[in-house]
Amino acid sequence: MASIFRFLLIVSAVLTASVLPAAAAGAGHKLPLYPESPFEDVLGGIFSWVSNSMIMVWIAAGIIILFCRAATKELKMVPAGFQNFAEWLIESLYSFFGNILGDHLVKRTFWFFGGTFLLILIVNYLGLFPGVGTFWMGDEHGNHKYLLRGGNADINMTAAMSLTFFGLWLYWSFTEIGTKGFFAHIFAPKGDFGGVMRIGMVVIFFIVGLLEVLSIFIRPLALSFRLFGNIYGGEQTLEKLMALTPKSLAFLPALPFYFVELLVGLVQAVVFTLLCAVFLRLMCDHGDEEHH
Amino acid sequence: MTFILAAAADAETAGGLSGIFTKFGVTWPFFIAQLINFVLVLFVLKKFAIGPIQGLLDKRRQRIEDGEAKLVEIEEKLAQSEKEKAALLEAANADAKRLITEAKDSAATLTEQKTQEAVAQAQNIITKAEEAARAERATMAAELKQEFGRLVVATTSQVTGKTLDENDQRRISDEAVATMQN
Repeated sequence: MASIFRFLLIVSAVLTASVLPAAAAGAGHKLPLYPESPFEDVLGGIFSWVSNSMIMVWIAAGIIILFCRAATKELKMVPAGFQNFAEWLIESLYSFFGNILGDHLVKRTFWFFGGTFLLILIVNYLGLFPGVGTFWMGDEHGNHKYLLRGGNADINMTAAMSLTFFGLWLYWSFTEIGTKGFFAHIFAPKGDFGGVMRIGMVVIFFIVGLLEVLSIFIRPLALSFRLFGNIYGGEQTLEKLMALTPKSLAFLPALPFYFVELLVGLVQAVVFTLLCAVFLRLMCDHGDEEHH
Repeated sequence: MTFILAAAADAETAGGLSGIFTKFGVTWPFFIAQLINFVLVLFVLKKFAIGPIQGLLDKRRQRIEDGEAKLVEIEEKLAQSEKEKAALLEAANADAKRLITEAKDSAATLTEQKTQEAVAQAQNIITKAEEAARAERATMAAELKQEFGRLVVATTSQVTGKTLDENDQRRISDEAVATMQN
């Protein structure tokens, strides 16, 4: 089993690496691959579980919650201001996911897809702010740790999101199509066959089912590494480009890529949630049709 | 080839699965904290943002659907009402036409009747006037005869120089009158 996971990790890493910008491949990067705990030595290490990327997620969550509180403070039938914008945002996302999931599933699962999309988007954009990946705390040994790090440039965060989805995907799938339907969807032969053909198809579809199970287990890994790789690669790109010129002009080569990163931040939020929605739809397709 | 691939390969050679986890900084405290973070954020968003807004949108959608249904109902009622109005107008129009026709007929009859009455009345007046004229003429003729007789008597008396008695006067007068009639 461990070897399967090793294989999956390497496959995911290769897939992720193929989409990273070439600049990220340069040697001598400053931003480490892993998150750090800037408060590890504070108060005897009681905050050692707080990573610099986690702080960014908190800030993003705080911004979203404050915005939502302002938008939903006094909900009116005729919207205005913040409420108008929030409604436009939620309605657009609802319609987008509704087209993929169908009316029944989107009503049940939108809280996850909408919330995840907003969180990924805001976390990605916050990672582009000056200070993220530059402010650091040092100790007496000359070591330094960055105070802030892009939230999705931490595999722990992306893994937490993809594994939460994986758990919810299992729950939604079983409750929508039942245990029998779940396994039938994976292993049962599709089409109407008889005689020897039927036996052959049972064997073939069983093997296909095993591959499907493998792909199901790859999904959370692929989701995690795809998002992590794109965001971390983007940060590396910006960092490397800034190192190409004297410090006074460091912003210049990176400037066009900031616009690219704005697009990447949005695209990655869409890709993550879109793939999750597609995975759910593929499994619950039959169940959803029955509801109609 | 790339940084991530190199890191994964390094980790693979360094310490297997745990090496990969270590290389990418996957640790239980960070992972569990991020997991709790994520779930809490989703819960808060569902409770305070997406849930209420989605509820409001559903409510509004329902109101719009109800409004649409009512609109259809109103349109149907309006069409029905228009139909009823047209039928009523048609009936009223027919009644009015009938009344007008009746009134015209009635007026013609009345006019004829009144004309007939007027003609009869006029005829009556003419008859009465003719009778009155005839009576007056008779009276005048009688008076004229009487006057003519008296004049003949007076003339006869003067011509003859006699005083005529009452019988003569009556006889002369009657003869004169008889001559006049002839």
